[in-house]
Amino acid sequence: MTATEPRETRIPDPIDLDAAEEARLRAAAGIAPAPIAHPGAEYAGFEMVGIPDRPPQTDRERELYTLEEGEMLVNMGPQHPSTHGVMRLVLKVRSEVVTDLDVVLGYLHRGIEKLCENATYTTVLTYVDPMDYMSGMHNEHAPALAFEKLYGIEAPPRAQYIRALVVELNRVFSHGLMMGFLALDMGGLTPILYSFINRDEIVDMLSAISGQRMLFNFFRVGGVNFDTNDEFLSRLGTWHSKQLKNLKDNELLITDNEIFKARTKKMGIISREDAISLGVTGPNLRASGVPFDVRKAHPYPPYRDLEFDVITQANGDVYDRYIQRIAEIKQSMSLIEQIMDKMPHGPVQAQVPGIIRPRPGRAYAAIESPRGLYSVYAISDGGPNPYRFRMRDPSLITLQVMPKLMPGHLIADTMAVMASLDPIMGGVDK
Amino acid sequence: MRLIGERFPDVVSSLWTDEDTVEITIPGARNLEVLRTLRDDPELAFWMLADEAGVDYGPGVRFEVVYHLYSDLHPAWLRVRATVDRDDPSIPSITGLWEGAMFHEREMYDMLGIIFEGNRDLRRLYMSPDYKSFPQRRDFLLPDDAADSPAAGVNPLERPETWDLVRFANLGPLNPLADAGALPDASAVVADPAGDQPEGSPVEAGETDADASRPR
Repeated sequence: MTATEPRETRIPDPIDLDAAEEARLRAAAGIAPAPIAHPGAEYAGFEMVGIPDRPPQTDRERELYTLEEGEMLVNMGPQHPSTHGVMRLVLKVRSEVVTDLDVVLGYLHRGIEKLCENATYTTVLTYVDPMDYMSGMHNEHAPALAFEKLYGIEAPPRAQYIRALVVELNRVFSHGLMMGFLALDMGGLTPILYSFINRDEIVDMLSAISGQRMLFNFFRVGGVNFDTNDEFLSRLGTWHSKQLKNLKDNELLITDNEIFKARTKKMGIISREDAISLGVTGPNLRASGVPFDVRKAHPYPPYRDLEFDVITQANGDVYDRYIQRIAEIKQSMSLIEQIMDKMPHGPVQAQVPGIIRPRPGRAYAAIESPRGLYSVYAISDGGPNPYRFRMRDPSLITLQVMPKLMPGHLIADTMAVMASLDPIMGGVDK
Repeated sequence: MRLIGERFPDVVSSLWTDEDTVEITIPGARNLEVLRTLRDDPELAFWMLADEAGVDYGPGVRFEVVYHLYSDLHPAWLRVRATVDRDDPSIPSITGLWEGAMFHEREMYDMLGIIFEGNRDLRRLYMSPDYKSFPQRRDFLLPDDAADSPAAGVNPLERPETWDLVRFANLGPLNPLADAGALPDASAVVADPAGDQPEGSPVEAGETDADASRPR
């Protein structure tokens, strides 16, 4: 190439070539220039992915994806760091304010219900662990109760108390992590580290009794797998003596923080009526002032003998949901004390064959998981595996409040509100 | 139980109980009337919809939509089994009574193909929108059941185009990892590869890689 030849200073972009060609053809035919398909598409340089490339299937979908002047769609997730798993939120925003929202699920769907219908009753309890991975013990509790009801047996008293003990420990670590994640989603990086220190102590303790850190596989139809052992009890004693102090430290770090208060009070308020109508359960429902706790409403075995009150809050905002979690951690601590005092002696497992074949029938068992009412509806046809195994996961139902809650809030508050609802995607997507 | 017998004399024959559940069976078309009475009658006051599940009793038999209700006044769960014709699976939606039934009904539509009349948002919940099968039907066979032939209209190995994850891998615009410099730089490499640039040619004043990537 010599200096006399004209030199192109830049390589032409193929997109531009097409556009120039189209503009030339349009000009030749006397047609107006093509309008830009979506505002911002020209700048972004790629096709907008928020709007589905198919006709809307329902009224609601048409309403959501019809943009008015000044509105745009923002796609949050599925790989967003603070969507608590693999979940996609389509936000319709006007400048910085959310006007509508759609929750798109299914990225983690594993068909656990179908898997369980093809497993024997005893092996179902291993499949449900990874569902709501923050509360594996609760996941196993409800199926175990339902299958016992189907089979017509009851766990021995000591097994029932051990169940209640591990379940309450699991609740403490789940609520403790929620406190950390809530602060993390609003930009506070420190509390999550302390939450994880506390959580690891409990997880080590549960590992000492069950042999696993997260996917415990501890419950059996008719009892639990192991009795308590020395390592578990010594870890429990050490942890229990300092847990309230740890909790206080965490509270000092988060609860009294002015920024935290400013961003959570009067934010994401769920009214009492909305909470009932939308099926919100657990701490989120009690934070809205409805005293519903399955442990009181339909007490399953050890909770009939334990003393506790249903705690409620008044306002139902993000701050109240956070305070509710702290109150429930303290309540669980007192329950653990009572359980240790009243723990009876005896066997931890009833005599149950490896493959059980319950008589044809139906059973429903519900428990209070850290996220709310977790229930199992099992149908037996007399065979070795459940004919129908249905799980009602509280986080899935709780997520329905998001489109109700978010209009009028800022984009940045979406994450705070969602963290306060504490959904776990493993459970949501089943 | 006595109250239920008084309110719905024609369903008494289906009353059934176990240790903590009372169960009635109703035809699917009556579900709105029965559930509204159960919720709004002050003596019954089943204010909470605990669960709504779909059950498939096999080809040629029936579907069932099973509601579990809770009331402070009664010590038992109330289970209402609403039967649905399997060949014409449709039942009135109860989202007008409890908005929280929405995700339950979307899941049942997704997994069993039951149509809920009056539901404003009856989309698939878990599977992608262009998926055709209903995985929790009894005649949906898992791929390893090779000895069984799939039933008509059900393809267990179906793989919709939208499962191509490339469509959904959207980094940003609000992803904190996609910082402002990264994306223009990446596109600049594609649009302006160094090999095509004449060697030794001076870059024009004021023109940087970032400028090259900006739309012209």
